[in-house]
Order: sequence, then C-alpha cells, then structure tokens
Amino acid sequence: MIKLLRCELLKMRHKYIFLTLLAITAAGLVFSLYGDYSGEFIQKNGWCMMLYQLPLANGIFFPIACLVISSRLADTEHKASSYKQLFTLEKRGRIYDAKLMTGLSMTLLSVLIYWSVLLVFGKIIRFYGEPPMELYLRYLACTAAATAVLYILQHGISMLFKNQAVSFFTGAIGTFIGVFSMFLPQLPLLRQLIPWGFYGALQFMGLYGWTSEERYANAYLKIMSVDPAVYVIIAVYIILFYALGKYLFCRKET
Amino acid sequence: MKETVTTTMLTKEYGGIECVSHLNMNVKEGRIYGFLGPNGAGKSTTLKMLLGLVRPTDGEITIFGKRLTSKNRLEILRSTGSLIESPSYYGHLTARENLKIYQTILGVPEKNIDEVLKIVRLDRQGKKKTSAYSLGMKQRLGLASALLSFPKLLILDEPTNGLDPAGIQEMRDLICSLPKEYGMTVIVSSHILSEIDQMADDIGIIAAGRMKYQGELSRLHEIDRNKSLEEIFLDLTGKDVSL
Repeated sequence: MIKLLRCELLKMRHKYIFLTLLAITAAGLVFSLYGDYSGEFIQKNGWCMMLYQLPLANGIFFPIACLVISSRLADTEHKASSYKQLFTLEKRGRIYDAKLMTGLSMTLLSVLIYWSVLLVFGKIIRFYGEPPMELYLRYLACTAAATAVLYILQHGISMLFKNQAVSFFTGAIGTFIGVFSMFLPQLPLLRQLIPWGFYGALQFMGLYGWTSEERYANAYLKIMSVDPAVYVIIAVYIILFYALGKYLFCRKET
Repeated sequence: MKETVTTTMLTKEYGGIECVSHLNMNVKEGRIYGFLGPNGAGKSTTLKMLLGLVRPTDGEITIFGKRLTSKNRLEILRSTGSLIESPSYYGHLTARENLKIYQTILGVPEKNIDEVLKIVRLDRQGKKKTSAYSLGMKQRLGLASALLSFPKLLILDEPTNGLDPAGIQEMRDLICSLPKEYGMTVIVSSHILSEIDQMADDIGIIAAGRMKYQGELSRLHEIDRNKSLEEIFLDLTGKDVSL
C-alpha cells in the first residue's frame, strides 16, 4: 500500500490539488469568520457562538472540498486512461483504497486546519475565557465524520463515472439540499438521512431566546441533544458507501 | 516448442451476443504472434481477457503453463507487458515521471526507466510534458511502459494505430527486435494485413469472434498459391468485412 500511496503523490505533481484544497478552506474560513464581534453577548459567548454558527458554513464548503478533491484525483486516472494499465499491475481494490486514503487524508487535514484557525481566531478576537476544548473536540469529530461520509461517497462516484459532471452535479445538488435542510427544523429526517445534511444533524449548540425585536437581550446558548440514530446512520453510510463503491469499481470492465 | 499462451473455448458474451466465441489460441514461446482480424472481430476483447481486464463468459486461459484465475492473475501478469488500444499516460507529467509511477508499482530497478526510454528513443525529451507529445511519441511511451519490467510476454493491441509511415516502420522494427534481443514472446493485433505480414512468425485470424486460421504465416501463403494474401484473408473472414 505504501508504494501505491507514493504513486498517488507522484501523480499529484503539477496538479496543485492540495493548494486548491487550501484555497477552498481559506474561502470557508473567510465566509465563516467575517462579521461584527463587538457586541457584549458575542464577546462573552464567542466560543460557543462560533459552534452554533459554523455548521452552516461547513455544510457549504466541506462538501465542495470533497467534490473538488475526489473529482480531481479520479479525473487524473480517467484522462490518462490508466486503469487498463494499472489493473494489470495491482489489485483493483488496492488502487481504489490508495486513492481514497490520499484524498480523505488531505480533506480531513483541511478540517483540522480549519478547526485550528478557529481557535487562533477566537484568541485574536479575545473571546471571553478559554475555549471549551471538550466541545471543540466534539465539534471537530462531528465535522470530520460528516466530511468523511461525503468524501467516501464522492470518491466512489468520481472513480466510477468517467464524466466528472456526474460527480459535480451530485455534489452540487446534494450541497444545496443539505444547506436547505438546515432551514427546515420541522423536517429533521431530511438532514438526518441526506449525507450533506449531517453538518446540521450533528449540530449540538443551540441559540435560544433570540428575537428580531430584542435580539440578544434574553438570548442564551445551550447544548442540544443530538438524536443517537444520526451516529448510527453515519456509521452505516460510511460502511455502505465504501463497500458499494469498491465493489462496483472492482467489477468495472475497462 | 513451448506454448506461452493458450486459450481453450474462450467465450465472451455481451447482452447475449457472443463477441468472442469458443476461441482456441496458441502462442509459442519466443515468437511474434500476429492477431489479425477486421474491425469489431473481437481482437481487443480477447487480449483484454488475457490481461484479466474483461471477465470471460466461458473457457480457459493458460499463460506460462498456469491457468489464469483471479487469484494468480497478478502473479502471472508480473511477467507480462501490455499496450491496449490507446497508450495510458498522465499528460501533466514527463515521460520519466510517468514511468516512475509504473516502476514504483512494479518494484523494478530505476535504471530500467533509462533503458526503456532509450529503446523507444524518448530519452532526450527532458522536461517536456507528455500532453505535448505527438501521437507517435505517446505510442512509444505506451510501449516503454509495457517494456519497463522486460516481461517475458508482451501484448500489443494495434500498436501502430494513428502512426505515420515512418512511425509504423520504426514501431515494426522495434517489435521485431524484441524476441531476439530480450527473448520476449509478442502478441500483436492489427486489422492491417500487410503490417502483420511483415512482423509475425505465427498468425491467428479472427472474424466475428471465431478463429478462422491459426498457424505459421508462411503456411497461409500455401493455402492457395494462385491467390494473394489479401484474397485468402478475405476468403477466411468473409468479403463483406472491412479491412
């Protein structure tokens, strides 16, 4: 497997794939963090407020990152017509896994970078007190899990279809539905079942008491309960998408 | 003489239609086997089955005396090089970088890269990206990838497709030299009769998925001395097929 991972790095030369990922992460950070942090409520509750606000931005930018990276990596093989050569040298499943590991590691690294920048940003803005690390680690784990599901799904689609428009439209439509689902609290099943909605389904910080007239006067932040079924669905999706994608890829005739 | 490749009743069906039908193929060691047939005869499908890229519907394949199965496929293919249809190349990389990928997977010495680049005369291309290569150069790069491990068996599917006359001549000379210089057995497919006539020791003629003739090329001439090779070929394959 090590030699296949080395090959993946060789193939990425001159493709600026990681740079593209960093650009998407940077765009996500600008979108997430740009705002007015002067209010007393925000200064006092800044750390938790970020946890409340971020899943929406995550639901836009991380799916885009998954879509772009998986597609760029798979397209390298499609354009090179390399499967017919590679399949005579190595097991198909291992080729699938090596590419998945490369792309998934990079995408999860971008989640980690994003998360680290949040902590640094909070310190620079001087939010009150120390960051609640337990909650931030939970947020990191939830974001990473939702991103992993999406990456595995997009990887399968990108590897199976030569035409990357299939991957692009699946990702774009899915992202749209995922973001839309966060504005429909009356339909929890939508975000719990659609992989792009997991960022919302895993959100555990809630804002209560906010009104358009009084704004933050009576507002407070509280940890919400997350339906345990979501964790099970995520685990099932990870196994299902991985197993199905790999099975179909291994069955593929070139 | 030992046989490097044999197929027994090899069959491939697509949607109930037999694309390759009960094909018995015998390729002898150290020879150039010309696999000739009109377009759509089943040549590429047969070669893909030999490489495990397409699963046969029925029949058996034996390579180097071992029956090809999903378990031993890679072990057998370690000693096989191939160029199927168009060459595989990563356009954003140089020829050397392309070969480095296959060399890493194969685990062969790095000096093989220089050697094969010299053989196909791509050793002076430096940092030129392969997307900027001419068709002939891409084809030669495909051949270089196939030769990288100096395999015992080389499978080439229409290697002269799209080449100009000089390129065809060059490719032909190169293929002809392989059995003598490196002891390789070569299977080369083509739909061009004259090309195979100038390269092959043995020949297999396939039409509509069925083997119509197999044996030494010289014997094909003897089938009917009053007819040209082209006429014999058309008699075997049917006059309505395109060459």
